[in-house]
Amino acid sequence: MPKKYHIHPKLMPLNLNSLFKFKIERGENCINCGKCTKVCIYEAHKRGKDDPRKMADPNTMVCRNCFRCIQECPRGALEKSLDKDFLNIGGSYWKSDIFITLWKQAEDGKVPVTGAGYRGPFTGDGFDSMWTDMSEIVRPTRDGIHGREYISTSVELGRKLNHLTFGDKGQLLSQIHPTVDVPIPIIFDIPLDNLSPNVKMAQVKAAAELNTFIVLPVKEITPKIGKYINNIIVLLTPEEIDKHQGLIKNARIVALEYTGKLEKQLPALKDKIKKAGNALTIIRVPVTKSVEGIVSRLAQGGAEIIHIVADYHGREIPESAGESYRIIKDIIRAVHLKLVDDRIRDEVTIIASGGIAMAEHVPKAMLCGADLTAIDLPLLIALGARIYEEPEKIIVLPDGLEKITVKTVKQRMINLMSAWHSQLLEVMGAMGIREARRLRGETGRAIFFEEIDNETFGKLFKKRETKNV
Amino acid sequence: MKPSTVKIKKMPSRFKHQVPKYKVVRSSACISCGTCAEACPHGVHERTEGHNKVKPPIDYKCIGFECQNNDFYCVAKCPRKALSLTVNPMYETLGDYRWTADMITATWIMAETGYPPERKDLEYNTGNSGGGFDKLRLKFPAGRPKIDKFEISTEIPLNRRNDGRAEIVISTPVYGGGMSFGSVSLPTMVSKARNATIWNTFTCTGEGGYPEVLEPYDNHVITQVATGLFGVREETIQRVKIVEFKYAQGAKPGLGGHLLGEKNTASVARMREAVKGTSLFSPFPFHSVYSIEDHKKHIDWIKEINPHALVSVKVSTPNDVDMVAVGSYYAGAHIIHIDGGYGGTGAAPDIAKKNIAMPIEYAITKVHNFLKDEGARDAITLIASGGIRSAHDLVKAICLGADGAVIGTAEMVSLECVRCGNCESGRGCARGIASTDSELADLFNEEWATQRLTNMYHAWNIQLVEILQKFGMKSVRELVGRTDLLEHIDYSE
Repeated sequence: MPKKYHIHPKLMPLNLNSLFKFKIERGENCINCGKCTKVCIYEAHKRGKDDPRKMADPNTMVCRNCFRCIQECPRGALEKSLDKDFLNIGGSYWKSDIFITLWKQAEDGKVPVTGAGYRGPFTGDGFDSMWTDMSEIVRPTRDGIHGREYISTSVELGRKLNHLTFGDKGQLLSQIHPTVDVPIPIIFDIPLDNLSPNVKMAQVKAAAELNTFIVLPVKEITPKIGKYINNIIVLLTPEEIDKHQGLIKNARIVALEYTGKLEKQLPALKDKIKKAGNALTIIRVPVTKSVEGIVSRLAQGGAEIIHIVADYHGREIPESAGESYRIIKDIIRAVHLKLVDDRIRDEVTIIASGGIAMAEHVPKAMLCGADLTAIDLPLLIALGARIYEEPEKIIVLPDGLEKITVKTVKQRMINLMSAWHSQLLEVMGAMGIREARRLRGETGRAIFFEEIDNETFGKLFKKRETKNV
Repeated sequence: MKPSTVKIKKMPSRFKHQVPKYKVVRSSACISCGTCAEACPHGVHERTEGHNKVKPPIDYKCIGFECQNNDFYCVAKCPRKALSLTVNPMYETLGDYRWTADMITATWIMAETGYPPERKDLEYNTGNSGGGFDKLRLKFPAGRPKIDKFEISTEIPLNRRNDGRAEIVISTPVYGGGMSFGSVSLPTMVSKARNATIWNTFTCTGEGGYPEVLEPYDNHVITQVATGLFGVREETIQRVKIVEFKYAQGAKPGLGGHLLGEKNTASVARMREAVKGTSLFSPFPFHSVYSIEDHKKHIDWIKEINPHALVSVKVSTPNDVDMVAVGSYYAGAHIIHIDGGYGGTGAAPDIAKKNIAMPIEYAITKVHNFLKDEGARDAITLIASGGIRSAHDLVKAICLGADGAVIGTAEMVSLECVRCGNCESGRGCARGIASTDSELADLFNEEWATQRLTNMYHAWNIQLVEILQKFGMKSVRELVGRTDLLEHIDYSE
């Protein structure tokens, strides 16, 4: 049994945020009787520090929406509403509630557990239109009594052989390609440009501690950061390969951006990289209408790892304005199925990114057909960042973040990944799947809204064809 | 037992104020003439004799914009135009997509009065989730109903196997879901049992043991055998008429029960034979069940220990829930209870509540049809739960193929739960429903809670009977599987 993979969360509050969901206001008719201090079990109401004859302003940060103060105030002097600043963050994809849960996970590293049933919409776009399956009575093939200590979340990156060839005497003729193992199916994507040095460093260190990877443009790899080359995917242009032979020699993985030209150059470029060292190559393909064709051609052309990159809300990048777009769930499925049709799916690794916002998106992306995922924004949200989608994408980092220690920033990211890892274990445990690599394209263990709704209600209620037709 | 014999009594909120839907504002133009206080029959405006000023309006009593048509509409009556009426921003902080603020408010009214609300401004039959029950509508036939309400029966039998075991009939096709001692308070548990007795139906202990105080209600209690086997003893199995195996729970399919340490107080720990203060996670799955044959062994074991009891099997809703249901039938179960993915819980990982297993609406159809094809449908009782929030949901579930339903959250809301979702940790429920904290668990008494539950059941029964009457049916059993009485707003004309 290999050593078990552990992530170590640590409680790590970051007192930069003062955003809350509920706003409680004390009206002028408050008679300072103090009933609210007695009924609130979360201590949102206290008497004034300076003047205990008066009530202090309610501390809405701790409000858990139980309504007791509202309902028990003898004067009805308290009013509550949804905080407008809170409602404004995010947008149609990054819903404001996502921030609350990610902030909390980054603080304590735990799986969010709450009471009461699910409270959201029945379905939604993309990943919200599918459910993962579970095993009711577990077959003995499952881990069963051993439990989740035996679930492995690791995945392999690299080219695989379609089959093995043996010689007359039974000797192995095929040359096995090298692969790289990542213990969680999540890598860190290219960080934003304008991050402060402590945040940049913390991201690299977090990737190293998790033993996963971070994609970094070659210009970002200073000697200090270069120490973590084992966990860095070096992003460069074909022209830069010659200049950075030393870096490539030490790297385990490098990445190239897709261009039209690249398809032809690929074999030559790979040779060049192989000459410098043992690094595997990722081709990053922006998601457009033709993505599955491109990915297929790259796979046929010998690409090892292909990273499909959708935009930050998991959408395809339209070729012209106003065009319709697909979303990440359907994009991954299309790419996966195209490769299956071309009988080459098992030979390449697919990384998917864009719109991976919550823990559940990781197993769902994998069920749709990705081998692993890449994330960027959740790591910043872990630090208290806010994203606004409208009227245009804006990312606001909290004031004073540049002064927080690398250790704290790193731990927040580790905490978030710890919570995501544990949630992945929950989902896999429920599914009765013991190996994360088996999630890939396992649509038999997923329930898709369009299919089941049509199968159930479509069949029952669709207007029957008129007789005699 | 006839539902018409159940005694209804008004049982108001235990709080001074309720959550208002509207906001009535009195501006400084008010001259305290008292016209509004005289006009409003709902008591929004009050003027105490001898006081100079009219009191601030009591928002929650206001019936809202529909009042405009009344001649006592205060905004219009005020001689100084000092009153205004708006929607209260506070209302947005109550409820969610599944349980809307209107639905919660209406359930409170039902629990208070025993009848569906007379107000027309509350949409309480469907939620706002945009799928499943919320997209299904009942298709009532035209014309006047010809059936007398008093002829209509809402009772259903639970044992359809003809196996010589107890022939249990419940008077309304609903019973209370399993909530363990530990997850909810003792008064909550006892009130649920008392209500079940009044309604000649059942409640369920959940998996935290069988508190002695439930003894007087033994005939209306289902005891649960769940994966943690907390508090399961031979004598608890022998006390009851129905024993339920809980394989999984809709809110957290594939995971065991969760009781976080802070809620595991001394008395809870004693009942569960566990150590106080430690978090208790039931395992998943039953480690003695790896096949349907093992499952049969389980059922045989219960049948051996209690020769009269019926056996219910509670499962969640994976893709192969239909196979599991048929397997349970062949293993000898009397009741197959399917709990959908959007069901309630006292503590579950958020990721599980939203993402694992299918919503109940699909599962009912799947299981009903599969049992029918297998020729087993008439010999087993199909109970649905996990998102049955209103009488309309209940009717829709039955039309899709269930015999009856189990409700949990609706009962909690009757006891004035606001679905804030903080039942899992700390001292538990701030409102005293799902808490074992010595102070919080005493926030209400059993008389109050029992009557609230009885009232809510009564309101649902009234709605159910009215619906059956419109459909021209004499028994709720005629409704089972009648999908032709439903339409879906996405697919139907």
